[in-house]
Amino acid sequence: MLKTLLGLLFFLMMAWGGIVQADLVLIANAAIAENTISREEAINIYMGRLRRFPSGGAAQPLDLPPGGAEKALFYRLLVNKDLSDIDAYWARLVFSGRAAPPRTVGSLAEAIERVAKEPHVIAYIDRTLVDKRVKIILELPSKGAH
Amino acid sequence: MRKIKKYWSDRSNGKDSDELMNQNHNLYKQPLPPVKPAHSEQLRKPLPAEKYRRALALCLSLLASGMTIADDNAQALTLHYFGTAGLSYVTSGQADFVRDLSQPNGAKGGQWSYQLDSLAGAQANFQINDQLEIVAQAVSRHRYDDTYLPELTWAFAKYSPRPDVDLRGGRLGTDFYMRADSRLVGYSYLTVRPSIDYYGGLPFQYFDGLDGAVTVPVGGGLLRTKVFGGYSPEKIPLENSNPWDLGGSSLLGGSLDYQLNSWQFRLGYFQLGYQRDLPGSFTALMTALRRIPLGGQTADAIAVGGTTSRHYSAGIVYDEGPLQVQLMVSGVKHDSVFFQDSVSGYLLTGYRVGDVTPYAGLSWSRSSPATLSSTGVPALDAAVVSTIGRTGSNQHTYTLGLRWDFHSGMDAKIQWDAIRGAPESTFLYRWEQPGWTGQTHVLSAVVDFAF
Repeated sequence: MLKTLLGLLFFLMMAWGGIVQADLVLIANAAIAENTISREEAINIYMGRLRRFPSGGAAQPLDLPPGGAEKALFYRLLVNKDLSDIDAYWARLVFSGRAAPPRTVGSLAEAIERVAKEPHVIAYIDRTLVDKRVKIILELPSKGAH
Repeated sequence: MRKIKKYWSDRSNGKDSDELMNQNHNLYKQPLPPVKPAHSEQLRKPLPAEKYRRALALCLSLLASGMTIADDNAQALTLHYFGTAGLSYVTSGQADFVRDLSQPNGAKGGQWSYQLDSLAGAQANFQINDQLEIVAQAVSRHRYDDTYLPELTWAFAKYSPRPDVDLRGGRLGTDFYMRADSRLVGYSYLTVRPSIDYYGGLPFQYFDGLDGAVTVPVGGGLLRTKVFGGYSPEKIPLENSNPWDLGGSSLLGGSLDYQLNSWQFRLGYFQLGYQRDLPGSFTALMTALRRIPLGGQTADAIAVGGTTSRHYSAGIVYDEGPLQVQLMVSGVKHDSVFFQDSVSGYLLTGYRVGDVTPYAGLSWSRSSPATLSSTGVPALDAAVVSTIGRTGSNQHTYTLGLRWDFHSGMDAKIQWDAIRGAPESTFLYRWEQPGWTGQTHVLSAVVDFAF
C-alpha cells in the first residue's frame, strides 16, 4: 500500500515535472521572410480569424494529437483555455461554415517534417526538438517553468 | 427578428376567417378549442417519434463511419456531426413553450417535451483547393410542419482569393445577430438553448444568396466587415392556417465585428422585405377591413406583404480564461403595425471550474403596440387590436445552469429558467389560452455532441 502510494507520488512528480519543463515554441520554415510573429498574430492564425503571416502570405497551422500533453499546454499558454473550450469554439466556426480547425498531425516528428517541407505551415513543438530546417517565430514560456 | 406568429384566428374573429381556413389537413392547424389544453397533446400525435429515432440512428451510424474519414490526414473531404438530446419540463402556464417561432407547438404547464432542443445535424466540407471549398449541412429538428424531416440548412461554395477575404454563395445560415448562425449547435454555446427572449422571435435559419467578409488588422485587433443579401426559402408555422411562406422575401444586411484580445464587439443590421401577407385569418381580416369605408387605412397599416422590418443589434463578448460574459441588445422597427416594434437583450456570464461551468443569465423582450384610428365597426376594431396583440411581448427571464464537459466533443447541461411576464406577453409562445399569466418555469437537461 505504502509502495503504491509512493509510486503514485513519484509518478505525479514526474508528470508535474513534465508539464512545467515542457518548453513550447512556435516554429516556421527557415526560409520564410518573418523571423518572429506576435502573440496576437499567432492567436489569429490558430483560432482561424486571419490565417496569414504579417507579410501577407497564407499561414497554415498544425495541431498535435489531442491525447498528448503538448496540445493542452499550447492552448493554455496561447489563449488560456481548456481543450473543451477550444472544441466548443471550433464547433461554432465549423458549423457556421466560417473556418476549419488546424489540421492534426500524428506526432511531433511529423509536425517538424511538415514545417521543414512547406513554407506556409507553422507548428508548436518542444524547444529541444528544433533543428536547423525550421526557426522559432514565437516563444511560449510556461508561467510555472523553472 | 421578432414576428410571425399566429394572430388571432382562433379567438378574435374566427367567423370571418372560416372561409379562408378550410385547409385543416394537419392536426395542428385545426382551430383552437375554446379552452381545453388537451390540444397540444393531440398535436403531438402525428409526431414522428419513430422518424426522429430513425434519423438519430442514421446520424449515429454516419458518425461511426465518419470518424475514420475524418482521421484521414488527406482531409479533402471532412464530415462533421452535431446534435442534442434534450428533455424539458414546463411547470405551469396555458401556452406552448417553444424554442423559437419556427416550432409549431411545444410544452404547456405540467408537460414534458423532448422536441424543444433535440436535433441532429451532419455536415460535409469538401476542400477543392486552398481557395475553394464546398460545404453542405442538413439538420433534423422539430420544424414548422411538426415533422423531423431533414432540411438543408447550409449548401454553399466559399471562395477565398486571399486569407483576409471570404466570398460565399448558395444557402447560408442567418448571421443576423451575434452567434445566430450557430444556434442549432448546442455544443458551441454555454446554455441549454439560445436566449428565447433574444433569439426566439427570429425563426429564420437560412437564406439563399451571397455573403462577403473582409478582415483587416486595426489598432492591435481585427475588424471583420460582412455584408449579405438574398432571399428566404423558409416557411413559418401559423396556428390555424397553412404556414406563412416567406419564399421570395428579400434579406439584406451586414455587420462589423471587432476582436481585441479577449473582447469582441459587434454591430449588426439587417432588413427583411416580406413578399406576401400571412395566410388564413390575417388575410380574412384584411378582406373584411377593405369592405368598409374607414377600414382601408387600417388594412394598409397592418398589411405585411410589401413591407420591411429593420433589425438593429449590438453585442459585446468578454472571454478570458475561465470567465465569459456576453451582453447583446437589439431593436426592431416594422413598417407594418401588425408587428409590434420591440427591444430585447440578454446578459449571460459563466465561470469554468475544472470541467464544470456554472452560468447565470438575465434576458428580456419588450414591445409596444401601435394605436390605430377606429374603423367605425367595434367588432373589427377589436379584431385589429387582438391581431396586433398577438405580436406583443413584455417579459424577462432569469436563467441558472451548469455545463459539464464530461468528454471530448460532448457536454451535459442542466438549466432552470424563470419567466416573468405580463399576461399579454404572447408573441414568443404558441397556442396561448385563457388563463395564460405570462409566468412560468422551465427545467431542462440536455446532452450535446459535436465531432
